[in-house]
Amino acid sequence: MLNAVRAQKAFIAVVSFTLLVAMIFPYGIMLLTSLKSKDTIYSIPPTFFPEKWVFTNYLDVWTVVPLSHYIANSVLLASGSTLLALICAIPAAYALARMRFPGRRIYLYAVIATQIFSPIVLLVGLFREMRWFGLMDSLWALVLINGAFFQAFAIWILSGYFASIPYSLEEAAWIDGCTRLGAVRRIVLPLALPGLVTTVIFVFIQSWNEFVVALTLIFTETKKPLTVGIFSFFGRYDVDWEYVFATSLIATIPVVVLFLVIEKYLVSGLTSGGVKE
Amino acid sequence: MRELLSRASTKYTRRSARKKGLGGRTVYPLLWILPSVALMVAIVVVPIVDLFITSFSEVGLSGLREGFNGVENYVSLFQDPVFPRVLINTLIWTVAIVGITIILSLGIASLLNEKFVGRRLVRAALIVPWAVSLLITAVIWKWIFDFRYGTLNLILKELGIIEKNVNWLAQPATSFPAMIAVGIFVSLPFTSFVLLAGLQAISAELYEAARVDGANRWKRFVHITLPQLRPTLTVAVVLNTIYVFNSFPIVWAMTRGEPLNKTDIIFTYLYKLGFEERQLGVAAAVSVISFLILIAFSASYVWFVTRRES
Repeated sequence: MLNAVRAQKAFIAVVSFTLLVAMIFPYGIMLLTSLKSKDTIYSIPPTFFPEKWVFTNYLDVWTVVPLSHYIANSVLLASGSTLLALICAIPAAYALARMRFPGRRIYLYAVIATQIFSPIVLLVGLFREMRWFGLMDSLWALVLINGAFFQAFAIWILSGYFASIPYSLEEAAWIDGCTRLGAVRRIVLPLALPGLVTTVIFVFIQSWNEFVVALTLIFTETKKPLTVGIFSFFGRYDVDWEYVFATSLIATIPVVVLFLVIEKYLVSGLTSGGVKE
Repeated sequence: MRELLSRASTKYTRRSARKKGLGGRTVYPLLWILPSVALMVAIVVVPIVDLFITSFSEVGLSGLREGFNGVENYVSLFQDPVFPRVLINTLIWTVAIVGITIILSLGIASLLNEKFVGRRLVRAALIVPWAVSLLITAVIWKWIFDFRYGTLNLILKELGIIEKNVNWLAQPATSFPAMIAVGIFVSLPFTSFVLLAGLQAISAELYEAARVDGANRWKRFVHITLPQLRPTLTVAVVLNTIYVFNSFPIVWAMTRGEPLNKTDIIFTYLYKLGFEERQLGVAAAVSVISFLILIAFSASYVWFVTRRES
């Protein structure tokens, strides 16, 4: 019996260690390659670790590509998309959680459907529409599109949180002379703070990571966000892998840290959702 | 969660029974959803309508419509010898990724459901591929699979598994499975966490009772875990199937669907048609077809979600 327990423990240790290594492996390669010199990267036979640790890659990359523009664009478009998604989603999620109205069921279906469509399915239509609006090569187009597609997630998560807040708290606030909007601002939103933080971070990350719409609509080098900027390394004759990965790492670290913060809330929100028929 | 939901619904009935007058009960809530509806119409509904119109239209190189041309775009799409291959690829891609992801995730979720040293670390590591941009992960794997300088060939040679470098991404026989593997890699985190949440919701008493009845580990898995996990598994399968449609960056970064469109999936094919060959009409026809496929999935998803909640 004791042996069986010990064997099981050993098994778990081996499997979990393998899993840990497998999940981290590519990102470890990214880190190691970003610290290699070009000669080491293109040496035969290849080496696993850098021969010299070239930390200056992280300084040089700022002059090789317009990295400060890429970062600024990613920050702008991700913040803009998040703000737009929240402005639309907060009142909508509140209405879904607290009110009955005609067309509620159809609206709910539309929200779920939006969550399902990836922008790439509508890419041709989006491209033609943005051209018609004169928003080609503009970050505004990305803000509108990300905001529209990710608001569905925000509505889904937030209405779950709103519905879980006791209605009596709001009613008490009304009696004390709060307007409905005031009660939302003073009672509902503060109590739904974990949900709000989760939503903000998730939408921000999704917009930050978005690739195909930006690839299609943005042409000017200084208007590109990080994802498209990283990809533009591949147009050249030989790829500057050290810079590709230095840029990638810079783009990745904030996102992973933010994601670790919300992980706990995210899974339950994604799978359950609180929208009531 | 379910308790919260039912509690929330009693609030509704209390509220509607009271019928607090708030100046036109039917108009007032609509104001709250107005911004969201406006955005949805502008960015989701309008392009869908435009797609259908464009797919039946002649479109100039610049993307402007030049009048209707019937089903010509669809005809030329189905005459393209590449298209059947693309559809088959997409089917293989989806089934392989979703199937293998679910099986592996079931194992990972069971592992994370146990208590062991370093569990938090494993959990954190599992988050990473979910958080990182799909494009960046695909680019790293492209480098790992590189013919001359890639890490995979280096490791396999050191271990004595291969003698000569394999050009993984040059032929479809190796590049397509390689990309599917990357697809699975990035799908594992989400799926495992969903299944873990499902596992944790199963009551411990059930296992206790089964143990008293003398059921072994495997019997407990088959007779308790799997049936109890079924709703969660359905969610995981449907969401994964939908998310697989987002895997454009994997193929785009690793092979671009080449050689000769043999590793294209429907969305890389669509992108090339529309934005490299500038055949927006035909690309719109592809979009309409994939839109209809997605609608079928959406319908099953909505059906499932609403059934679960009623």
